[in-house]
Amino acid sequence: MTLKYRHIASLLETSRKSWSKYLSYGGLGIGILLLLCSVQLFMNLQKFINNDNPRKAGADFISITKTVTNETMGTPDKNLFSPADIEEIKRQPFIEDAAPLLANQFHVKASAGNIIPFSTDLFLEALDEDFLDTVPPDFSWREGQETIPLIFSADFLEVYNVLAPGQGYPQVSDETMGTIQIVLSCYGPTGRHDFKAYVAALTNRVNSVLVPEEFLTWANKRFGMTDNILTTRVFVKTKDANNPDFLRFLDQKNYRVNKDKIKFGRVKAQLQIVVSGLGIIGLLVVVLALMLFSFYLQLIIAKSKDNLQLLLMLGYEPGWLSRVVSRRWVPIYISIVLIALGITWLFQYFVYLNTHKMESSMSPMLHWSVLAFSAALIFLTIYSNYRIIRKQLYKLS
Amino acid sequence: MQLVTRNLHPVYFTEDRSVHSNIWGQELVLKPGERVHIVAPSGSGKTSFIHFLYGLRKEYNGSIQYDGKDIRSLAPDQLAVYRQKHLSIIFQDLRLFPDQTVAQNIEIKRQLQPYHPANKIEEFAGRLGVAHKLNMLCSTCSYGEQQRVAIIRSLMQPFDFILMDEPVSNLDENNRKKAIDLIVEEAAHRNAGIVLADLKKLEYFPADKILHL
Repeated sequence: MTLKYRHIASLLETSRKSWSKYLSYGGLGIGILLLLCSVQLFMNLQKFINNDNPRKAGADFISITKTVTNETMGTPDKNLFSPADIEEIKRQPFIEDAAPLLANQFHVKASAGNIIPFSTDLFLEALDEDFLDTVPPDFSWREGQETIPLIFSADFLEVYNVLAPGQGYPQVSDETMGTIQIVLSCYGPTGRHDFKAYVAALTNRVNSVLVPEEFLTWANKRFGMTDNILTTRVFVKTKDANNPDFLRFLDQKNYRVNKDKIKFGRVKAQLQIVVSGLGIIGLLVVVLALMLFSFYLQLIIAKSKDNLQLLLMLGYEPGWLSRVVSRRWVPIYISIVLIALGITWLFQYFVYLNTHKMESSMSPMLHWSVLAFSAALIFLTIYSNYRIIRKQLYKLS
Repeated sequence: MQLVTRNLHPVYFTEDRSVHSNIWGQELVLKPGERVHIVAPSGSGKTSFIHFLYGLRKEYNGSIQYDGKDIRSLAPDQLAVYRQKHLSIIFQDLRLFPDQTVAQNIEIKRQLQPYHPANKIEEFAGRLGVAHKLNMLCSTCSYGEQQRVAIIRSLMQPFDFILMDEPVSNLDENNRKKAIDLIVEEAAHRNAGIVLADLKKLEYFPADKILHL
């Protein structure tokens, strides 16, 4: 015959209605519900942020400048990046790589000949090819070459197409852009030199007019008469532009980035605090409920102390008694967690109904981590319950 | 199983108590099948000795061994197994569950390690004259009836030794004889040893050895 709890049930005073018992059941349920909801909210948040921030090659590319203040306005040195600054940026664990954007240090003018009678002062920049989203095969330059390939910001083309009708210029498509002959006039102390140029590619990543690095280095020497490279912008590659550590670093160094690119990071940081707060409250409620429940268990054991002591004297093993007595509450614990899980699912379904039209990645189902958390909570409550009973019974034996 | 005590002496007794004792401060070897009768007056430590042997109390110097193992080194679960299979006891103060019926009190022991089928409860209760009390709460029984319930309870398990502390002190002569006969019969059935402690020598108990404390 296998001994079961029912064989000794009448010797334990567990059937008594106790306010502490029901209070601890309720508290445990509320705490677990808060915890599960905060885990699910956190997962929704992660999905939402990652989805609205598509990355190229699994990373974000952002250009950083130093914030120009009234104090630093007259001192260009303070607004430029030194090699030490760039090295420091590269050393940060959340930054995968960084490279300076080299700027022209001579006067440049661009015109588009007869097709588009448009002429403007221009700036040129060069960037390490590893940081470009598109690198056409002909994007290179050798000394003596009169034609220069350009990578042009798609945003600039959009701006041109906005202002073109008002100025009486033709609007230009992406395809036509590559066929337009541009004349780049570079001015230096030795006079003016005209180069032919064409748009080899459009880029969505860098708001600039990019030329091959070899050309800019040569031209800075030739027209700017300098080897000294001034860096006003640094391009960084990071796993997550919304990483709170990254944002803290930018704030601390007073660096400036496109706010739009990191706004999710700011929102995320705030939401994470709110969700974490909710989680911490849930955790505290669970801990309090478990403590209350442990008092209830100790009360039951104290009330049944004489009977339990006699059972132990007669040869009942304290280990066996601990197992069968603690097992009595397993169905109650599982029910509490399942009810909390069910309410969390209803909550998620409600969130889904209200957001799935705006946010296609939202699922009506619970995230797997919520289920894993529920299993862990069941284990935690059963184990802590068992340990309390075991400790009390070994004390009696 | 063999029970051995060496230089056993309660910490609350003075050393001179060992001088005339057959147990305190001596070596005692109890073998299966052996019937030992301890005869001693009140205050000589009969209950202490029985409790020490059963592992209930540990306030002693010297050692007690079950099969060569010091019982103070046994974990609570290991000690419980000895109490289920090798050692039975009748407490002087009986230690029954007052809110349980007589049958439940006996069954709670039998179900732990059944040596006899459940119908033996009724048979033994009949032999000791408490069959009519089986379904009554223990708290409603007289002390003599409760003593017989404690005796029947102790016989429901397998054992190598049965330890008894004044087991028939509240019974009349007729019931004493019946109870001792049943205990001796059941011990013989298991080839088990008996340790019976009482204030005076019991005529009906066929002791192999009489010891004084």
